[in-house]
Amino acid sequence: MIPFEMVEPSSLQEAVGMLDPQDPAIRPVAGGTALMLMMKAGVFAPSRLVCLHRIEPRYSRIALTGSGELQIGAMATLSEVEHDANVAARLPALKRALRRLSNPRVRNVARVGGALAHGDPHMDLPPVLTALGARVTIVGPKGERVLPLERLYSGYYETVLEKNELITTATVPSLNGRKSAYMKVTLRSADDWPALGVAVSFKLQNGAIRDPVIVVSAATEKVTRMTSTEKVLQGAAPDDATLARAGDAAVAEASILADAHGSAAYKRELLRVYMRRAVRQALADDAQRVQS
Amino acid sequence: MIGRTMSARTINFTLNGEAVSTTIEPHRNLVELLQRFDLFGARESCGQGLCGCCTVLVDGKAVSGCLYFAVWVDGKSVTTVEHFDGHGTLSNVQQAFIECGAFQCGFCTPGFVMMAHQLLKENSDPSEDDIRHYFSGNLCRCAAYPEIVEAVRRAAKAT
Repeated sequence: MIPFEMVEPSSLQEAVGMLDPQDPAIRPVAGGTALMLMMKAGVFAPSRLVCLHRIEPRYSRIALTGSGELQIGAMATLSEVEHDANVAARLPALKRALRRLSNPRVRNVARVGGALAHGDPHMDLPPVLTALGARVTIVGPKGERVLPLERLYSGYYETVLEKNELITTATVPSLNGRKSAYMKVTLRSADDWPALGVAVSFKLQNGAIRDPVIVVSAATEKVTRMTSTEKVLQGAAPDDATLARAGDAAVAEASILADAHGSAAYKRELLRVYMRRAVRQALADDAQRVQS
Repeated sequence: MIGRTMSARTINFTLNGEAVSTTIEPHRNLVELLQRFDLFGARESCGQGLCGCCTVLVDGKAVSGCLYFAVWVDGKSVTTVEHFDGHGTLSNVQQAFIECGAFQCGFCTPGFVMMAHQLLKENSDPSEDDIRHYFSGNLCRCAAYPEIVEAVRRAAKAT
């Protein structure tokens, strides 16, 4: 890696002040696992990294609110989320996703805020947390704003964050009986980047799917909510015919890209199959115990 | 633009139980830092955090040395595989690796040994599935995986 400057502010406000909205060579760094890969590959050469390790410890906290929402501080490591008792008890799809997210060393270092802000469509947390209805709190020089996570992504490695804005918290609402699942397809090792990710959540009322949220990642340029597919599932019983229609709808709706993980045709077929499997996995949620 | 100082900075940390100090530039990673202390057990192999050959512990947590800025260990405690040289006494994990023949060339072994210690600290009785998940980011090009899984189970029983 080529030399650069690293500054270590001791507060969030100070960190925001050290970023420059006009200068893409100045970036915040949380765990650095993704950023270092970009730097080693030569696609990113910073002049300055603003290290967030020394900001206030409250931004690393994971806490349950009185209304049952889980507030995950952006500087919490992925391991801390993985081993959090409330996550295990209340958000089984998130727990399961974390167990297969990269490997334990990366999870020990990578932070939630970085995983959300990086904008890499192959990452696991954005689709899972989008399907779970999460929102992010963002702080910049002008103050704070809150955004549904599904509105954070604007393109391939692109978000709506200004260069001097930082995510401080991801808030995940209570499932309230909703079923949820995330499935990904990796072609080589278990911890490989996925060719496809599908995240779903929905209510089941009198045998019918209600208020589904369907999210596709990895095969698309950004994490994408599948609203037409959701309409196919709304009010329908999750039988084989419905799931086949949902698979067809998702394939018609998603803009699937070819890359090293497979051709677009191959990934469309994966989506057709994994749309069905993800819904079935969510239905099996209650029956399955999440392994630690 | 504030003054750009790419210069090395002084860091103080604990290395295998001993307080040490050195100066290092911000763009160096933890493997490069360890090499300055003549510690070569952590090897940068894939350079992408995938293979586990550079596994070291920072404040008791396993990290990939190749994906960890050296300056970040300032004030922290670093443990490498050399910590387990044990003055001639093998750890239960090392003993189990030998008894099970859990290596051929040995290049990946320091990383596997470090990760095995870490797994057993978190989970004293891991299932085969737990072990395989935990080692998803450790590659053995000799493919001694069945023996490695057996060694971890044997070490768990010996703990």
